[in-house]
Amino acid sequence: MKLLLIEDEYELAESIKAYLKDNNYLCEWVNKVDAAVEKISMYEYDCILLDLMLPDGNGFEILKELKRQNKTEGIIIISARETLESKIEGLQLGADDYLTKPFHLSELLVRIQALIRRKNFKGSNIVTFNEIEIDIFAKTVKVDGRMIDLTKKEIDLLLYLIGNKNKVLSKGAIAEHLSGDMADMLDNHDFVYAHIKNLKNKLKEAGSGDYIKTVYGLGYKWQND
Amino acid sequence: MTKKLLNKTSRAYSIFALLVLLVSAPFFYIATEELYIDDADEALILRKNEFLKYFASSLKESDIPVWNSFNRDVKIKDPTPVLKDTLFYSVYFDSLSKEDEPYRELNARILIEGKPYTLSARINLVETEDLIKSVAILFFIIILLLLLGLLIINRKWSQNLWKPFYETLYQIEKFEIDKSIKPDFPKTDVEEFTRLNHSLERLIEKNTLIYQSQREFIENAAHELQTPLAVFQAKIDMLIQSGEFTAQQYQILNSLNDAIARLNRLNKNLLLLSKIENDSYQEKQNVSLTKIIKNLLDFFTEQASANNIKIKTELREHSTVFANPVLIEILISNLFLNAIRHNVKNGHIEVTLTEDTLSFSNTGENKALDVDKIFIRFSKSNPSEHGNGLGLAIIKKIVELNHWEITYSFDNFLHTFQIKLK
Repeated sequence: MKLLLIEDEYELAESIKAYLKDNNYLCEWVNKVDAAVEKISMYEYDCILLDLMLPDGNGFEILKELKRQNKTEGIIIISARETLESKIEGLQLGADDYLTKPFHLSELLVRIQALIRRKNFKGSNIVTFNEIEIDIFAKTVKVDGRMIDLTKKEIDLLLYLIGNKNKVLSKGAIAEHLSGDMADMLDNHDFVYAHIKNLKNKLKEAGSGDYIKTVYGLGYKWQND
Repeated sequence: MTKKLLNKTSRAYSIFALLVLLVSAPFFYIATEELYIDDADEALILRKNEFLKYFASSLKESDIPVWNSFNRDVKIKDPTPVLKDTLFYSVYFDSLSKEDEPYRELNARILIEGKPYTLSARINLVETEDLIKSVAILFFIIILLLLLGLLIINRKWSQNLWKPFYETLYQIEKFEIDKSIKPDFPKTDVEEFTRLNHSLERLIEKNTLIYQSQREFIENAAHELQTPLAVFQAKIDMLIQSGEFTAQQYQILNSLNDAIARLNRLNKNLLLLSKIENDSYQEKQNVSLTKIIKNLLDFFTEQASANNIKIKTELREHSTVFANPVLIEILISNLFLNAIRHNVKNGHIEVTLTEDTLSFSNTGENKALDVDKIFIRFSKSNPSEHGNGLGLAIIKKIVELNHWEITYSFDNFLHTFQIKLK
């Protein structure tokens, strides 16, 4: 998978590149509008991560250029300046998703995965991990071919964990993923623990391996041992 | 208690006028009486002179009884005459009006047919009582006229004079620094008022500028913080991937995670506040409060259940307001957050929505909060708490923006925030 990261903050770009690299996403990085436009017209990408404020212009210009060239790449705007207008304008100009800084890298990764899945959708939309099979479209989960009963939130959590496999996910990051904007307003991450526990039990009952590892004090990790 | 400026000046005038009139009343009475007596004395002397001129020479001694029977007020009396003319007061009983009547009397020595007699002329005087009454009525009328006059002058003239002042006052009362409408002071030809208006204009302009730049500063600062925060967050996310840590290092990482979460939250709320202040949420539409509360209820019920807090709702169906939907959601969320955050284990929350009120009650610390402080930014009832002290400030801002009213009360172990919609 090839991504284009358009971001002027070097340190942030470095972390994004490193985090995505482990998941087999090759990230090309540019920090200016000119360079971005040049790259876009020369290569095809699976996904474009776009910061709106760049030293030589506005990210919207790139969106317009993509539209002009009839490019169909998935685009996620990653911006610090989140206003309702910029969000609407971005989505109207063809962006698929909008992520406000600061964000967790794990969140960015699952957003990219979801976007690419949507873009490459060919009749079915299934994520598998060993004996686990998640049908995103039908919102069902099978273990060894047998359907198990998970709530919407648990499926969401499962996708998030699998998407970030082998990564340590802090409780805060999981809480934020599960409940959006509101979660980080409360310091209470107990509900994360409750959801993880339920998911773990349901998978175990269905005969699945124990992939959810607790990382002492910090959070959890999906790991194939 | 404060009084109106115009009433104050007219009060002083009125009191002064009243005082002058009251003090002058006795003098007025004395002067009037003196004049009156003088006049009566003159009239009596005139009568005597008339008598001397027209009757004294022709009157005979034998005519005296006849004279006396026809003249009630000028009588010729006994043969032991006074030596010289004397004027004095006397009182006679009037058989007709059946009361004592005051008289001024003149006894004069006259000669009838060479024999000395006393001519006694008298004039009925106005009773003192009547005089005082008349004076009092007169003064009352004067006072009434005076006060009425003062009142009218105040109404018309002073009001006209002070009109620019009141206009300025009204403009300032209307003025709100967070709104962009500037007061428009009236032109006036009174120097003091012009000076007042100029100073106020300068003051307002200066403060508006300061306020705006401060507002922009908060928004810009919060925005500028987003990027370093993003880097910070990403670096921690990366750091925790890098391998095994000791228990102590995990603890440090966890603290770092918490700290950055708080920073994010603080920054987000600051941005939100400055956005609300900068009118970023102007678009309004009909929003169903019932629906929004119900939508958020699941999430907050889950959050509350961690501390075994029960949420009870009593919602009127289809309660709508005309407002910005994003802000309403933020408002409700913050009310929920507040009720959960400041709650106790096994506590409960009551959410009540009627046609025109929305209230959130929660159990919590068994002590009323300081009403003067709760809505102020960064004021926290408990400094060790993780809340950032902006939640209620945001609630208050949104309530104010919609011209609603929020009140806090502590009753029956429940902290209640009630919003009067409309």
